[in-house]
Amino acid sequence: MVNGRSAASLQEALKIRANEKVVPYAGGTDLMVENRKDVTYLFLGKVPELRQITADDEYVRIGAAVTFTEALESPLVPALMKEAVAKIAAPAIRNAGTFGGNLGNGSAKADSVLIEFVSDAKLRLVSVRGERVVDVDAFYLGRKKLDLMEDELIAEIWLPKEGLEHYYYEKVGGRNALAISRISFAGVYGEKDGKITKCACAFGAVADTVLRYRDLEAMLIGKTKEEAKAEKEAFLAAYADRMVLTQGRVSAEYRKDVCLNLLRAFLEKFGI
Amino acid sequence: MEEISRSVVKKDHAAKVSGRSIYVADYPSDGVLTGRLLHAKTARAKMIGVELPELPDGYYYVDARDIPGDNNVNIVLDDMPVFCRDTVEYIGEAIGMLIGPDEKKVEELLGEIKVYLEEMEPVLDMRKAEKNFFEYNFGHGDVGQAFAEADRVFDEEFETGYQEQAYLEPQGMMAEIEPDGRVFVHGSIQCVYYVHNALKRVLGCGDEGVHVLQDVTGGGFGGKEAWPSILACQVAVAAKVTGKPVRCVFGRREDMEYTSKRHPSYCHYRAAVKDGKVTAIDADVIYNAGAYSTLSAVVLQRGLIAAPGIYNIPNIRIHGTAAKTNTTPSGAYRGFGGPQTFFAVETLMNHIARELGVDALAFKEMHIAKQGDLTSTAGRYHFPVPVKEMIEEVDAACDYRKKRAEYASPQTGRYRRGIGMSMYFHGAGFTGSGERDLIKAVAKLRKYSDDTVEILAANGDIGQGVRTTFSKIVAHELGLPLERVIFEHPDTGRVPDSGPTVASRSLMVVGELLRRAAIHLKEIWADGKEQEVEERFKEPDFVLPFSIETFEGDAYPTFAWAVNAIELEVDTYTGVAKVLGAWGDFDIGTPADYNVALGQMEGGFLQGIGYASIEKMDYNQYGRIRNNSFSDYLIPTTMDVPKLVCMFHVEKYPDGPYGAKGAGEVPLVGAPAAYVDAMEQALGGIPLNHAPFTAEDTLAAIRKEAI
Repeated sequence: MVNGRSAASLQEALKIRANEKVVPYAGGTDLMVENRKDVTYLFLGKVPELRQITADDEYVRIGAAVTFTEALESPLVPALMKEAVAKIAAPAIRNAGTFGGNLGNGSAKADSVLIEFVSDAKLRLVSVRGERVVDVDAFYLGRKKLDLMEDELIAEIWLPKEGLEHYYYEKVGGRNALAISRISFAGVYGEKDGKITKCACAFGAVADTVLRYRDLEAMLIGKTKEEAKAEKEAFLAAYADRMVLTQGRVSAEYRKDVCLNLLRAFLEKFGI
Repeated sequence: MEEISRSVVKKDHAAKVSGRSIYVADYPSDGVLTGRLLHAKTARAKMIGVELPELPDGYYYVDARDIPGDNNVNIVLDDMPVFCRDTVEYIGEAIGMLIGPDEKKVEELLGEIKVYLEEMEPVLDMRKAEKNFFEYNFGHGDVGQAFAEADRVFDEEFETGYQEQAYLEPQGMMAEIEPDGRVFVHGSIQCVYYVHNALKRVLGCGDEGVHVLQDVTGGGFGGKEAWPSILACQVAVAAKVTGKPVRCVFGRREDMEYTSKRHPSYCHYRAAVKDGKVTAIDADVIYNAGAYSTLSAVVLQRGLIAAPGIYNIPNIRIHGTAAKTNTTPSGAYRGFGGPQTFFAVETLMNHIARELGVDALAFKEMHIAKQGDLTSTAGRYHFPVPVKEMIEEVDAACDYRKKRAEYASPQTGRYRRGIGMSMYFHGAGFTGSGERDLIKAVAKLRKYSDDTVEILAANGDIGQGVRTTFSKIVAHELGLPLERVIFEHPDTGRVPDSGPTVASRSLMVVGELLRRAAIHLKEIWADGKEQEVEERFKEPDFVLPFSIETFEGDAYPTFAWAVNAIELEVDTYTGVAKVLGAWGDFDIGTPADYNVALGQMEGGFLQGIGYASIEKMDYNQYGRIRNNSFSDYLIPTTMDVPKLVCMFHVEKYPDGPYGAKGAGEVPLVGAPAAYVDAMEQALGGIPLNHAPFTAEDTLAAIRKEAI
């Protein structure tokens, strides 16, 4: 027997979440096709607090029940996120699918999650007990493994307002639409006074979670472009050495080749 | 444009686009039982037995013991059982069927059946097959001498993979016992009489004991040529046992994993070259037939006849086998054996040209057969071979020669381009003397007292438009408005056997019978009177009789011809190839309806591009096909449709209606050869030998060749 609950406010949703065993959903583009038996769904698609895109001084806050189409139409959402979201599935699915669902699904292939990783996004998690704000990489622990309590809901994704302007993004799917990522890459670059300040590199769909190696990124931080160029092959070799990829719909070997090629393309784009 | 080619609204357009068409799954469920097949989970095993759970009232289990007639499905050799015998031969083989009123309960009970098997080592590699279902040898000239005298000898291997038909509507069939005891079967079908004849054998009855109706069918592409016969027998046995209507509609995963697909192939070619020309081809062809022979004989025949391509090679030796493996039976798919060998021979010709340092197109042009030349089976090309003109038309459309020369210069960037070409035929109609000796098609026209005319023919509209084009032909000859000509989906209870809906034959063969019938009816037309006319197939006088023993004679009365060019850009960082343009010039004779024909060409060409590039399917070490869903087996979406230019070159066939000849299959056949040719050029001229050629293959080639 499948039951459905729905909530008109966040408070109501949190109460239900605290008192019943429910599977939260909004667009249902993944969950509904699973056709699970004996579950109670909690529909969040009409919760106003989860449906807003707002901005404060530091962050663009995307509500968990905001659809991909809404994000594409919002002037607040950074171009990098829009570029990734525009390649999700097909228009009908983008009209229904949401940021919270993409995260909650717990897949390293989720296209919006890759951008959250590379941009050091934070997540606001709420429950009747209160709320907490966590870094996305601390939340996203592995395949279907999330740091989300039984009574919590993902409320917002916080993307930094600044610092995402210079990026390189590539999704490799099996075709041009309705394609699950086989490899996805996002790199964010920054420099100040001739020195590299940021070189964030995230790899999606190649392991249990999105991969990011901050210690390797640090190899280029604080360097000039010339210094970075000299370091480039060692940098790429360090990634080659570190990345242990899984086989999926394509081989681990193919994934690794592509990851390293895209990493190189990212450096090349910014003159390294 | 000929008057007949002017496009009309398709007869089934309104019902289909408005969602009113009734497919087999749409019939009301009242009183109808659901049947679900118990599929074997092991590729090869001795069957010991099944242990059933307690079946509630109204639930039934049927298997081989319940078959009233003979446990063999009539296809070619009749070796495929309705329900498995004492061995399991592939993963998915039907052991039995569970039937009951509630689908979920049926599924639940199905999961509780215990199957006892003694597992055996499966044969999965077609090159290590213990048994060949079919083996053919033919040729002409003196191959041995040609190789002995050759300046150079080329030796190459080629492989192609599965291709899933991916029709919109999965396999589905329904059976009921009529009050007079007749078994009525209807569903998603290409060939009603194939199903009809299969049922007779399995039910042990005559023509009077059974009739078969084609429901509205959501695509077939060959996949509903043989499989519906199997499923029809299964539901008919279930209806016999239960005495109630039984319906079985496959789920998508079930359909993709267990039903027939295009034959994977392995081809070993040797070619002798003397004075810059190919003097001999020696081809050894293996098609993976899967666990039962089904249609493999005829698929292999068509592939072998195409093995030397469209070239006039004086000495040829062709050897081919349909290998038995413990995998799902391979079957018909648009092109029917042609795409595999055309890929091999076209690619071989490209490689020889490259090795000789000559332009591949000029090299091929030197070898193209012309009217009057011998075919591979020592028949004749009775009609003009328009390929050279078609090459010029394609060149004019896409600047082929200029781009080919341009992309031949060394490329070093991330994105690299190539353009490739293929040229080929598709033999129109059944292979050999099948039309004359086996099918003997009959078609009728029945005029009612209100002066509407009904077409009585067995050909099913599976989206290719025969309801429309047949009606157009009859309306044209009788001078009637199209709406006064009726052509319903065929029911063997009321239409004669005009043969199956296969082999690009319906329009050319049956369309011509209808044209002649219409002329006859016009001569005897009497207003307000009920009248009926009948036409029977007669082989054209020019045809040289074909012998299947010696493979000599005209395998086909005529051919549809095609030239394809594909231009692509490869991302050497990801291996992803973007098709920049695909140009297809198709000679299908006179198009019976311009839009219908164009739709066939575009759709078929796109399927070919999918087959060449992203449609990859394989089985694992246990013989299981794992990518059995549309998220794992990718076909092109609308976003993947490249600039697709389809053109018609009309070489009229005098024995087809208004000059029409086979059209349905030809657009698919040549894409892999053109695609891989373009890919080779983009990758700097390295030889490639398999299709599909995926993004992963591209990076593997780059890694291996250090490009």
